[in-house]
Amino acid sequence: MKSELNGYAGRILEIDLTQGKVESTSLDTDLASNYMGGKGMAARYLYDHLDKRCDPFAPQNMIIFATGPLTGTLAPGSGRCIVSTKSPATGYWLDANCGGSFGPEMKMAGYDALVIQGKAPRPMIVVVDGDEVGLREATDLWGKDTFSTHQWIRSHLGEEFRVACIGEAGEKGVRFANIISEARAFGRGGAGAVMGSKNLKAIAIRGHYPITIADPKTFMRICREAFNEIAIHPDSGGGRQKYGTNTILSCMNETGIHPVRNFQKGIFQGRSVVNEEGIKEFYVRNKACYGCPIYCSKISEVKEGKYKGALVEGPEYENVWSFGAQCENTDIPSIIHAEYLCDQFGLDAISTGNAIGFLMECMEKGILKESDIGFSLRFGDDEGIIRAIHLIGQRKGPGILWGEGVKRMAKEFGKGSEVFAMHVKGLEMPAYDPRGSTGIALAYATSDRGACHLRSWPVGAELLSAEERIDPFSIEFKAEFVKNQQDLFTILNSSVTCLFTIFSLNLRHIVQFLHSTTGMESFSSPEEVLRIGERTNNLVRLFNLREGLTKEEDTLPSRFFTEPLKEGPSRGRVVDLEAMLEEYYFVRGWDEEGAPMQETLKKLGLP
Amino acid sequence: MIKTIPNLCTGCRICEIICSLTHEGSIANKRSRIRIRSNWPQEEKILLCIACEPKKCIEACPESALSWNGYLRIDEEKCTACLLCTEACPYQGIHTESSKKSPFFCDTCQGEFQCVKWCPTKAVVKAE
Repeated sequence: MKSELNGYAGRILEIDLTQGKVESTSLDTDLASNYMGGKGMAARYLYDHLDKRCDPFAPQNMIIFATGPLTGTLAPGSGRCIVSTKSPATGYWLDANCGGSFGPEMKMAGYDALVIQGKAPRPMIVVVDGDEVGLREATDLWGKDTFSTHQWIRSHLGEEFRVACIGEAGEKGVRFANIISEARAFGRGGAGAVMGSKNLKAIAIRGHYPITIADPKTFMRICREAFNEIAIHPDSGGGRQKYGTNTILSCMNETGIHPVRNFQKGIFQGRSVVNEEGIKEFYVRNKACYGCPIYCSKISEVKEGKYKGALVEGPEYENVWSFGAQCENTDIPSIIHAEYLCDQFGLDAISTGNAIGFLMECMEKGILKESDIGFSLRFGDDEGIIRAIHLIGQRKGPGILWGEGVKRMAKEFGKGSEVFAMHVKGLEMPAYDPRGSTGIALAYATSDRGACHLRSWPVGAELLSAEERIDPFSIEFKAEFVKNQQDLFTILNSSVTCLFTIFSLNLRHIVQFLHSTTGMESFSSPEEVLRIGERTNNLVRLFNLREGLTKEEDTLPSRFFTEPLKEGPSRGRVVDLEAMLEEYYFVRGWDEEGAPMQETLKKLGLP
Repeated sequence: MIKTIPNLCTGCRICEIICSLTHEGSIANKRSRIRIRSNWPQEEKILLCIACEPKKCIEACPESALSWNGYLRIDEEKCTACLLCTEACPYQGIHTESSKKSPFFCDTCQGEFQCVKWCPTKAVVKAE
């Protein structure tokens, strides 16, 4: 079967695990025009089909894997795929995305999206071999780590199969369990636990359909131009190729927003050891996702010492932080080993390290005692970190509660721990202190999936950009900046391409890729395309409001409002959110309670 | 012809994409004449015709359908898709889509060397 739409596979695969039924339907052309693909398409689907207020672990919850019109093409960074579901961490919307080759393979198998619901009676894997789709028992695989699961599937089904699977953490319902594909992750928000609740261990996929391009000649020409720009840009063609995402480590310390000791400080004393050069010592080779000339991925290996054998695609900046500065740990091999374990258990390494830092602060403050957990978990204790990861990944002993995330832990612990449970809406915070960046403060507070740096990343424009800098302390124009960037990033997540290309390219390139690939009118101008991003973000807001979100949750942990940073360029600063948030609602066309107004919805053609 | 430097390969498969766009007019990695085999955590393998000597593929063909003139050529009329050539190639450089179709392999894009032009890390280069 060949799609009539260029750039798209033209089919959606619906899988009901309870009944063991699979059905392939045609992609609705209007859905493609109005929501593009990826995040946009998933938003429309979940909003229309998901039972209101259903438990994220209930069989009715759906999990959608979706590509976009650029997935699998020559557009740089096209190796991505999104997963979307109702998050067990937040109880709200979740989309997470992953690089590698899974997304492109899904499109070559002939599907723009897989929509999975129900619960299998026994552990299963979904096998998609082009037009042949089936469920296969996977009782033998249950309990296996993610690497062994990949090996098992590829040796039993064939080396060409691409896999997305969960580890023990997902099986056991850790609320921040992720989904692993090769050595990369659909990282945040607990999609792995949703798979686990459905008894779904893995999806294996293979396909042979070509991806057609509406205007190959123009498409190849603009891709060539984009490749050239990426190669000479100091971000993509410079720092990222050399150091990967760790390229910003020193800069984040210098600007005083690299969170230390669970956000008690913003400059890491260990920065003379844990910096981009120190991490680079462990790199053994470069790696890229499908279709990416940036190759920001680095394979790292620990070759000696007590963590010998640890091998990761990474460690990424976020994880160097979460197991480094967040836990005040300067032992790089232990950081790499920690990420290695997270990959095997299928744990989101940002949330895991954040949670361990929270536990360390609880112990520091006497809220948690050695006698409660059977060992010491102090800041700087690398062995304590590793022990904690095992307990969380296997959900053993105190790890049963730890796997619930910091919001729920703080509720259980009480004693003022809520003040330093570093999350928004239940999702643990990543590696930027909002006291030194008003933009990221607003971005965290308004992100649809909780504390996330990838819905909008103002840090780049405030502290890193060589071109146009905006003041990191001013609140002026931040509402507009965050809103516009959220709409742009949603376009990238709907197209589906990597965010990292946008630091050397711009919206004009994305529109050209989209238009020459699909030939579709709705992707012919930046205004049209941005409107799709805005429409999707409003629809996701409606989804979250329907699930019970209130204005009170568009906020940050109270530490940021009451405890000023003590050192560095951001010394003395706290977050002043209210005015920015009010302005943000205004520029979004939302009312004072943060709900889209009728005229906003009408303008966007919603709901 | 083309020389490969596998330890520079990042596994991005841009070579496969551009190869199939050039030859097929669409993105069909499985019709690409250069193939990247990735199997984490192993290093990538770059599989294509590297103009080796002696040419076991030509020797292996029972129908004399293969010949060499600057690059490997196939006489589709003679080829029975027995695929003995794919087995004979020591470099896994001859590709097939299915057991019933003729094999395909690098033709240097008739001297245009698209994969060489597009490879971001120069893991495939023109052999002098």
